[in-house]
Amino acid sequence: MGRTITIDPVTRIEGHARVLVHYGDDGSVASAAMVVDELRGFERILVGMEASQMPLITGRICGVCPSAHHLASVHALDDAAGVTPPPAAKLMRELLYMGHIIHSHTLGLFVLEGPDLVFGFDSDVAKRNIVGVVQAAPEVAKKALRLRTLGQKVNEAVGGRGVHPVTAVVGGMSFRMDESLRRTLQGWVDEAMTLVVELAAFAKQLLIKHVKRSADLVTKLSLPAHCMGTVKDGKLNFVEGALRMVGPAGEVAAEFPTRDYDKHLVERALEFSYMKPVFFQKGGQENMYRVGTLARINAADAMETPVADAELKAFRAVYKRPCPLTVMQIYARVIELVYACEKAKKILANPAITGESRVPATFKGGRGVGHVEAPRGTLIHDYEIDAKGIVRAANLIVATQQNYAAINKTIAQSVAIAGAGKVQDNIMLNAIEFGIRCYDPCLSCATHAVGQMPLEVEIFRSGELVRTLKRGV
Amino acid sequence: MGESPPKVRLNVEWLSACGGCDVAIVDLHEKILEVLAAVEVLHFPVLTDIKGYPSADVGIISGAIRNEHDRHNAERMRAACKQIIAFGTCAVYGGIPGAALAHSREEILEKVYLHNRTTKSDFIPSKEISPLENQVLPIDEVIPVDLYLPGCPPHAAFIFDALLALVRGRAPQVRDESVCGRCKRTMAKTQVNALKENHEGTPDPAECFLSQGYVCMGSVTLDRCLAPCPNMGVTCSGCAGPTMQILTEPNRDIRTEIGERMEKLTALKADQVVSYIERSAKTRYAYAMATRMIGRKPTFLIKKWIRAVEEG
Repeated sequence: MGRTITIDPVTRIEGHARVLVHYGDDGSVASAAMVVDELRGFERILVGMEASQMPLITGRICGVCPSAHHLASVHALDDAAGVTPPPAAKLMRELLYMGHIIHSHTLGLFVLEGPDLVFGFDSDVAKRNIVGVVQAAPEVAKKALRLRTLGQKVNEAVGGRGVHPVTAVVGGMSFRMDESLRRTLQGWVDEAMTLVVELAAFAKQLLIKHVKRSADLVTKLSLPAHCMGTVKDGKLNFVEGALRMVGPAGEVAAEFPTRDYDKHLVERALEFSYMKPVFFQKGGQENMYRVGTLARINAADAMETPVADAELKAFRAVYKRPCPLTVMQIYARVIELVYACEKAKKILANPAITGESRVPATFKGGRGVGHVEAPRGTLIHDYEIDAKGIVRAANLIVATQQNYAAINKTIAQSVAIAGAGKVQDNIMLNAIEFGIRCYDPCLSCATHAVGQMPLEVEIFRSGELVRTLKRGV
Repeated sequence: MGESPPKVRLNVEWLSACGGCDVAIVDLHEKILEVLAAVEVLHFPVLTDIKGYPSADVGIISGAIRNEHDRHNAERMRAACKQIIAFGTCAVYGGIPGAALAHSREEILEKVYLHNRTTKSDFIPSKEISPLENQVLPIDEVIPVDLYLPGCPPHAAFIFDALLALVRGRAPQVRDESVCGRCKRTMAKTQVNALKENHEGTPDPAECFLSQGYVCMGSVTLDRCLAPCPNMGVTCSGCAGPTMQILTEPNRDIRTEIGERMEKLTALKADQVVSYIERSAKTRYAYAMATRMIGRKPTFLIKKWIRAVEEG
């Protein structure tokens, strides 16, 4: 007898999402899917707007990763105008972005995932929130909040604003960095470097402790899949380089320039969701793939900076490459956070950063494609721009869309783990919530911080509603 | 030492928003501790797990109304809170999502699902999901609002002042200067006789953008940002919405005000500027087109202007 479970979390960033779980006649989980019930229609709204404003307008797609949209957009404009920004502009943009990554990854680790790390994946939800973390580990919480602040200050000082930065313009940056600003930034980044070493050790230690305690949950949420990330000379990069897809066995399945993304990636609409999953086309097949922290470190051969590279080597010695364990997206975030601090320091040490920061640019009519690695995965902006500088078509591929198929697979795995034996409601809800949260998907990252997703579960048998479970709705 | 005053009870809710307003509150950095010491945070999705809407002194709402769920939560917040703050440009004017005003639902859905470079599907999602609303609304179309704090997002300085005022029981300083008030550029009379696109040339870092022939929205935009854009080389895009003067006087508008100002500062004619802004209306009015205070102006023909551009 088949049954369907509907889980209805009230999500925040992108609105309302639900989960549908389908059981087969043999009682096993047939499939699971998250329903995304909101669409703003940016691919239509942007058409008819002035291309030069895209880095400002598209930032408003997401206030949690606005710097990612800001830079993906300006990369697309540079491509459309056929210009290469001067070295100083590239350094300034990457510095802005490292500030953003420091802010975003620290927020993710200590505010969103921190509660899980401090209290355990299966702990009492009442204290599993940031307030609980501050009480349990006040010194660490204070340092983590300081690190986030430092990242955001770097982002704001170079980007003009923290949320919704403005200074990246086609052809470069809108201002030139002077020595005084450079010195101020160096002070902040040095402080961040000191903090991150201590915080990374703390986060890793807690994660490993809980991994040992919940070994079952960790090993069963294993998902061998393709992984995509950006590499430059084989090393992980957030803002520049080729897109590399590695297969489940670690082989390079494809490596391509941003502009060729549409030859490799395909979106497929679903009847029951506004969000379109994305697949990797190869050998006549459409393959599920992952993006984000773990996918990036799986795709890259090495990290560019020494401390982060040592962290990556230590990780691989235990968890192998590619690592298929879904929960290790948290560990990968620690490695990337260390990298972002080191890279910011390296950029600021380069005297070229105070050079000329802009070249003239015009739109002659044509297409522009750009990308960055957003905190949660690859972000692609693609515009067709006419000779008057007006956007005629826009295509956006965002991180969570690319993880959609993998998230659904992980939900099915979570249900199966919880469903072994007699299913307790709360175990089921916790397992599903945990599986989703491993991806820190933008549409639930905020509810995540509450420590508990408001969920509504409807259980159907043979199409008939037999039970409704509610939590925190 | 007297007794400390009772804490202000605070609810925070977000509707259709990007989350940037909430990050902006976190960006109070160390000052957030001063605020938190004086308030009792009740419903605040990123901080607490209190569900429902406890009765509160102050309610902060960010985001616009785009579906029934948003409308319902706005109404519940209004019923629970003595004062409601519309926080951020989406709550106050509709914001960027409000730019969907220019299109029908069908136009949006067809573009996203049927006419898209990488989407290989021949249908529009229709099961399990709720249909899109016709239009995005600012929250005061649905509930009465006591205090407006636009900005995309508002700068921490304004957030701090507003919260501190509420904590101390005084009225917030409602400053109505435009972005020009904080801009360090110098206005000068020039012989510039052609308008420049934002990306054209390299603007002089010290002279007013209008004097140079760039359409900057600073003079018609409320300062809720401390003017980072013009001070760092970028024309104001109007993200905090129009000044009170433009909102309240039916015959004043963004394009006519900028036109008159540029005529005084350059060799351009006001009409040239007005028709240029109409051609770029979708961008210039992007943040505020969904508010009736702009939409009701007799000469505001945004859909016509946008159609003219799209049809080439």
